Amino acid sequence: MDIFTVMLWIITLVLLLISFKKDKEKTKLVFKMSKGLAGGMIGGIIGIILLIGFVLTLFPPEMITSYLSGKSQFLSTFMAAGVGSVTLIPAFIAFPLIEELLKSGVSMMVSVAFLTTLTMVGIVTFPLERESFGLKFTLFRNVGSFIFAIIIAVIMGGIL
Amino acid sequence: MRYISFLKANKTLSIMLIAYIILFLYSPGKAGHAINESVYYFLEMIMIMPVIFILTALIEAWIPKERIMNHLGKDSGFKGMLFAFALGSFSAGPIYAAFPICVMLLKKGAKISNIVIILSTWAVIKIPMLINEAQFLGFKFTLFRWILTTISIFLIAFIMNYFIKITDIPNSEIEEDEQGMPVFIDTNFCIGCTICKQVSPSIFDIKEKKAILLTDQWDNELLAQASIAAKRCPAKVIHIKEDEVD
Repeated sequence: MDIFTVMLWIITLVLLLISFKKDKEKTKLVFKMSKGLAGGMIGGIIGIILLIGFVLTLFPPEMITSYLSGKSQFLSTFMAAGVGSVTLIPAFIAFPLIEELLKSGVSMMVSVAFLTTLTMVGIVTFPLERESFGLKFTLFRNVGSFIFAIIIAVIMGGIL
Repeated sequence: MRYISFLKANKTLSIMLIAYIILFLYSPGKAGHAINESVYYFLEMIMIMPVIFILTALIEAWIPKERIMNHLGKDSGFKGMLFAFALGSFSAGPIYAAFPICVMLLKKGAKISNIVIILSTWAVIKIPMLINEAQFLGFKFTLFRWILTTISIFLIAFIMNYFIKITDIPNSEIEEDEQGMPVFIDTNFCIGCTICKQVSPSIFDIKEKKAILLTDQWDNELLAQASIAAKRCPAKVIHIKEDEVD
């Protein structure tokens, strides 16, 4: 375990202790809720992890890198943003994946485009969003997020 | 039987299990490699996942959301934007859990820009996730991305506030349910957190990751319990007809 994980555990345990001191019942509910959240998501998460292992075996990061290196930087950034928009991966699985892609030589711009659209643009949740807020709102928010995700990727590719 | 319904509810998992069997028959070496890769991600995840869920639940229990929600109206200005930003950053669950809450806020008169800020921060910026991001991608990376994302969200909010009018938003009264039931669950937005089942197991159950009602006979006792559950529901998907409660 690295320092960040240890820190996060310590912070959480301290907060739990404070919460328990202040209100036992509420803290019990906190436990039940986190158990419920985890139980509801664990099947899907393991499924996605197996999918990542599968995809990385058939298309190793080196292969993705060499495929992308032939393309223009801009085109691959757009492609990565497109893939990020249609996929629904929890961020905490995406981080180690991005780390691996960066290590194997995928450029910063492409990686950031993928990571940012992953959470900011939701093609899968588009119908639900439209139902709640209408087509115009949903279109503006998602297209706007897509454009800004590209801008963020370009800037981050420039400075990091 | 339990395993079968678990597999049914988790389609990705089922498809992947089949894919692995095929890969194993085709090339055992590759299947081994894929499993090794997956185990690496699994170990990374299992160390961090419990904390993320506990932190999320802690935030959900202790941050006084009602107070924040009262500061999002037409004249809320910059302060309202900060409140919207805080509400999104400190919330639990996937983005679709934010939809019913934002619809409710719109009806209460919240500004379009504040709604955009809540939705986008809810999707993108989560405090536990930021720590997780720094762990893998470095502090500098996370900080830069956070700053740039925050600026983008505010810009998108400004632009949309200019172009989208409140009349563009459908007046989606949740169809007060068919048979005039006093309690109604909007399953589309349920995140399956099981809080309602914990509060009143005699009324609610979870089936295929969504809350369902176990009863259609309502008395005051049950209605009182249901309204406690409705209050605790993080996605606010349990609707209770007010006139029936008192």
